[in-house]
Amino acid sequence: MMGRAMVAQAKRLLPVAGVLLLTYPLWPGASEYVLHVMTLALVYMVLAMGLNIVPGFCGLLDLGYVGFYGIGAYTAGLLTIHYDLSFWVIVPLAALNGALWGALLGAPTLRLTGDYFAIVTFGFSELVVLFLTNEIWLTRGPLGLPGIAPITLNLSWLHPQWYFEFYGKAPNFYLAALLVAGVYFVMTRLEDSRLGRAWYAIREDPLAAACCGVDILRYKVIAFAISAAIGAMGGCFYARWSMFLSPDMFKFWESFLVLCMVVLGGLGNIKGALVGAAILVCLGELLREGLGAVGLPPETRFMAYGLIMVLIMRFRPAGLFPAIAASGRANPLLAALSRRIAAGDFAGDRGDNRDTPA
Amino acid sequence: MLEQQLINGLTLGLIYALIAVGYTMVYGVIQLINFAHGEIYMLGAFFCVTLITAAGLPFYVAMLMAVVCCAMCGILLDIIAYRPLRRAPRLAALITAIGMSIFLQNLALIIWGSRSKPFPRTALPGYLTEQALTVGSVGLSWLQLFIFAVAIGMMLLLYLVIQKTRIGTAMRALAQNRTAAALMGINVNRVISFTFALGSAMGAVAGILVAIYYNTLYPTMGYTAGVKAFAAAVLGGIGSVPGAMAGGVVLGVAEALGAGYVSSLYRDGVAYAVMIAVIVLRPSGILGRAVTDKA
Repeated sequence: MMGRAMVAQAKRLLPVAGVLLLTYPLWPGASEYVLHVMTLALVYMVLAMGLNIVPGFCGLLDLGYVGFYGIGAYTAGLLTIHYDLSFWVIVPLAALNGALWGALLGAPTLRLTGDYFAIVTFGFSELVVLFLTNEIWLTRGPLGLPGIAPITLNLSWLHPQWYFEFYGKAPNFYLAALLVAGVYFVMTRLEDSRLGRAWYAIREDPLAAACCGVDILRYKVIAFAISAAIGAMGGCFYARWSMFLSPDMFKFWESFLVLCMVVLGGLGNIKGALVGAAILVCLGELLREGLGAVGLPPETRFMAYGLIMVLIMRFRPAGLFPAIAASGRANPLLAALSRRIAAGDFAGDRGDNRDTPA
Repeated sequence: MLEQQLINGLTLGLIYALIAVGYTMVYGVIQLINFAHGEIYMLGAFFCVTLITAAGLPFYVAMLMAVVCCAMCGILLDIIAYRPLRRAPRLAALITAIGMSIFLQNLALIIWGSRSKPFPRTALPGYLTEQALTVGSVGLSWLQLFIFAVAIGMMLLLYLVIQKTRIGTAMRALAQNRTAAALMGINVNRVISFTFALGSAMGAVAGILVAIYYNTLYPTMGYTAGVKAFAAAVLGGIGSVPGAMAGGVVLGVAEALGAGYVSSLYRDGVAYAVMIAVIVLRPSGILGRAVTDKA
């Protein structure tokens, strides 16, 4: 099979590509724009990994992820402007705030599965946007929050000259890369932990999991809270990096985008989420540049985006790297099972008959 | 004041109900939240106005033709976008639906421009612009009466189609168990197409009515209306057609009262809050069947 050989070849090249990308800011003639896009891709990688926990590990569809991203971003923005707190203090606070809202929303609603839960999360994120738009005394509403201070690192208690301001593109890029690495590490550890196995069990068969003593609701709320906390952390970085926030940045479109990244990479696949984020951010920029150069109106970009998502779902409905299929490829029995799971449904039913009385 | 709010809320609610029916029917037969339904509603309004202004057709003819066009759009949407994904994971179909919604919305933006347009008033029959009766401070316009009549008429018609015709029976069979329905010799794809056509036609009527009522139409109008109608469908119990009708009316009245007495800023918030509250407290909705997929 030439496919496998090519994959092996590509895998050998991966570290090289990684090093090249990571040293990009140090190259002579590195473009600010490319660096900006790369940082943006890193932010979306954090979001995609965070979202991946809920639909990927637990099999629950979350359509309102951007709500937590917005909560994190505004927490960071407001704390910076009003209290001038350091970024390093704000990150845990924003993550806690995100987790709190995740738990508050999740505890009463995670009993539900499938589309019902998806709708609740959708409504929640719309309410977050409405809140951000209307509570002008707090968020300045549609005017947005300008002038958020950049990230600083104050180590002057160690050495009088160790005071850094993350003003240029490169320091923020490395900080974002660090964030991605941190979240990735936590994700891989979680995946193999007791917690991760409980999530997988819930995803594959909630009833069987419950019979084995997994407290389903508890583990789902934990998943939702962790996912929300990571989203809030992403938002926190975004706020201090872009230095401007407005409610428009947290509309449903963003949730859809992050969801597409996770699905494109293959649900439940952490590396897939990274690849999905990189591809879709680059695609967005390519479309912006390419269609603009041809002289088409900017709306065509979103139109193309929608169309591309439709086409990807048409031809790769399980994403580029389906996590379940990958583990079962060696074993024909597992492969058959994974095909059935892939052809089946989110909530465990087979799609044709949702309302059979239990 | 209260009476006026109730009348306005009822008008709005009947329109929501018309859209909600489309969501709930499609959900009933293929368990898909058809996110692109709001766009069909928007297309209905634009087709109607374009037929009036560009082709110079009289109002009723234009309305009828726009509705037929939208029904065909609904069928095409199903055939092109959703049919290939019948056996794919549910998430793939949902993402396709959202993708189609974004695609259609931006297509409309390119064709008709992003600015909102007024509805051509001169093309309307004269009586629709007049006030029907005024009692004290409470007014009721002929337009509102027209909306009541059309909406209620459409729903009665829909009820008859679903309950009394052969294809309606097939739709109900499909909603209960697709495999068994197919085994009984029902042409599943044809019934699904019919469901899309019926839902899209109702949505198109709603779009035209809204465009006249608010005297404005714009390419992004489908999003909010779609979300609210979906909330109405959930409120009534998703999958249940009478539920969607009841849910639409309740939501419209709640929204009008909320905007009038609580805060007009959170007008849209009422819909979402009601939706979340219903799902948490009673996921099966007002008239829906009990939900079995609770963990």
